[in-house]
Amino acid sequence: MEYNLKIDDRTVDIEHEDKNENPIRFKTGDEKFDVTCFPVSDHQIHMTINGKGINAYISRDRDGKTVMINGISHRIEDADEQKRRLSRKKGGSNGLPEEITPPMPSVVVRIMVNKGDYVEKGKGVIVVSAMKMESTLSAPFDGRITKINVAEGDKVSPGQVLVDIEATQ
Amino acid sequence: MLKKILIANRGEIARRVIFTCREMGIETVAVYSDADKAGIHVIEADEAVRLGTSEPSESYLNIDSIIKAAQKTGADAIHPGYGFLAENADFARRCENEKIIFIGPPAEVIEKLGDKTVARQIMSKGGVPVIPGMLESESDFKIIAQKASEIGYPVLIKSAAGGGGKGMRVVASFEEMEEACVSASSEAAAAFGSSAIYLEKYIDQSRHVEFQILCDQHKNAIHLNERECSIQRRHQKIIEETPSIALTPELRDEMGKAAVAAAIASGYVNAGTVEFLLGPDNSFYFLEVNTRLQVEHPITEMTTGIDLVRRQIMIAAGQPMGIAQEDVKARGHAIECRIYAEDPENDFFPSPGTIEYLKEPSGPGIRNDCGIYQGCTVPMEYDPILSKLVCYAEDRQSAVKKMIRALNDYVISGIKTPIPFLVDILKSQPFESGQTYTDFINAHFKDWKPASYNAENPSNANNMKNAENKADSDIAACIAYIADELCGRPETKALGTASKEAGFATPWQTLGSWNR
Repeated sequence: MEYNLKIDDRTVDIEHEDKNENPIRFKTGDEKFDVTCFPVSDHQIHMTINGKGINAYISRDRDGKTVMINGISHRIEDADEQKRRLSRKKGGSNGLPEEITPPMPSVVVRIMVNKGDYVEKGKGVIVVSAMKMESTLSAPFDGRITKINVAEGDKVSPGQVLVDIEATQ
Repeated sequence: MLKKILIANRGEIARRVIFTCREMGIETVAVYSDADKAGIHVIEADEAVRLGTSEPSESYLNIDSIIKAAQKTGADAIHPGYGFLAENADFARRCENEKIIFIGPPAEVIEKLGDKTVARQIMSKGGVPVIPGMLESESDFKIIAQKASEIGYPVLIKSAAGGGGKGMRVVASFEEMEEACVSASSEAAAAFGSSAIYLEKYIDQSRHVEFQILCDQHKNAIHLNERECSIQRRHQKIIEETPSIALTPELRDEMGKAAVAAAIASGYVNAGTVEFLLGPDNSFYFLEVNTRLQVEHPITEMTTGIDLVRRQIMIAAGQPMGIAQEDVKARGHAIECRIYAEDPENDFFPSPGTIEYLKEPSGPGIRNDCGIYQGCTVPMEYDPILSKLVCYAEDRQSAVKKMIRALNDYVISGIKTPIPFLVDILKSQPFESGQTYTDFINAHFKDWKPASYNAENPSNANNMKNAENKADSDIAACIAYIADELCGRPETKALGTASKEAGFATPWQTLGSWNR
């Protein structure tokens, strides 16, 4: 079985031979690895890779897995799967998020704009606070504020659009 | 002796106080906000009382609610922990008026020492060396500028009411002075409700060295040696150790005596900490007294073997100290790392959320004062400290190696932590050689990025090695990703047959996996 995995910022092509063998032979490029493994708990597997014992701690979510080995954590996604997902999603052309939404659950501290205001890309629109740290969310493009969906003091979560901006052409 | 103590705090410190109370046969009352209904302190305590909604002002800072909770449960005493109301003189006074023992110094002492300029005056009079600077706060920029030229640049602007680095500015010359005064006083006003500022001489290549003090109600005062807390990020301590690499036995003795003199000069009672700045020429200056149990108190407990919370309770109950200065013997070396819910890859932005998986490190000499459990939610309303990992070993080098091992064994998933950053600091040459000055992070780790970023720019031999390790580590992680699927989890719910199909001949599979 072949995998095309995106790990942090690089891609690794890796395949394994018959999974019923023990150990299982893995290959990436010219390198070969003999692997045995067993689950220790829901979040831990113990592997031996070419005879060396390694504990990996794994948490899974909708888009992939986070694998931690020796204190270093790696974000891993299936690149083929990711490509399919991205083509479905309409992403921002400049890499910036298209919407004003907090990166984490927060409280609205200050709203720096009024409905009808024109804002330039990068201008601070709203300040949110979480765990005593404040963070300013900025306009992703030039535009006009068409609606403010929250009030100061509101609790907000990621995905919630706080301010609607209509792009100016 | 006290029978029941209410702990007016949350998280790891509330739990730590509960542990000692239980060992002493004292009942415990936890208080909680709506965000902490299932908090660790609620789980550990004998009783728990709701204070109010999640906002600190409605819960952990709500004096009326806390006093009511103490009266309702019949608590003799209140332990304030650190933060929240720990250094609030009004709260201590209210406890005194309500005949509830406040486990800390008298309200009057908290008040005096809470004003940094008053504290400086007390210490000056008590013969404790203070940093050259102003003894009173000032609002007129012209007077401040004149004082600055008397003291000599560089100077440090500080907030009279403050702490935690708010309102602090290093000013190198007269030209920068006006702007710095304006911004420092407005920052101080926003943070503490008082714009009062004052000046101190800025001392380069200094260390933060503090002394733990204990004073009973019978005029006995001792110190329990120092803690060096020079490794700070945005003026918040992140790594602390004892003993300090910079202290000789003679200097320790001298500074310890100054700390005790500071305690006596201020009429101190209970546990406290006298903070000093130690200059490169071994001259030291009084910074401030923290009138509470410090976050980093466990390292002192590890090396002296003295339970500071137990001592706090005994002192509050009126018992005499029972230990003399010469009985205090520190052995070995202890280090603490603070584990916060923050994302080191994203400018240390707070990272609240649910702890999906938790595996605490263990082994000889390891202590983890932990405020979380698997499945709990880290609320966004409060300080993001998750736990304090403490390692003790016979010498500094072994303690550092133990800490690196323990950090690498510490698994917290679901939220981000600065563990990789801490490991990199501990492994660094400047830390190893003890060049731990208060500007350490800015000087050596200003633009720190996790290892995966360094690998992209293998410009020197060390980075080449990192890159190779990184590649190996990447492949192991990829194999783990796939092996996780081959192991047949999480779909394989403890079914022996399904595990056999996965084809791994280990005895574990026939037992089934340990899924819940």
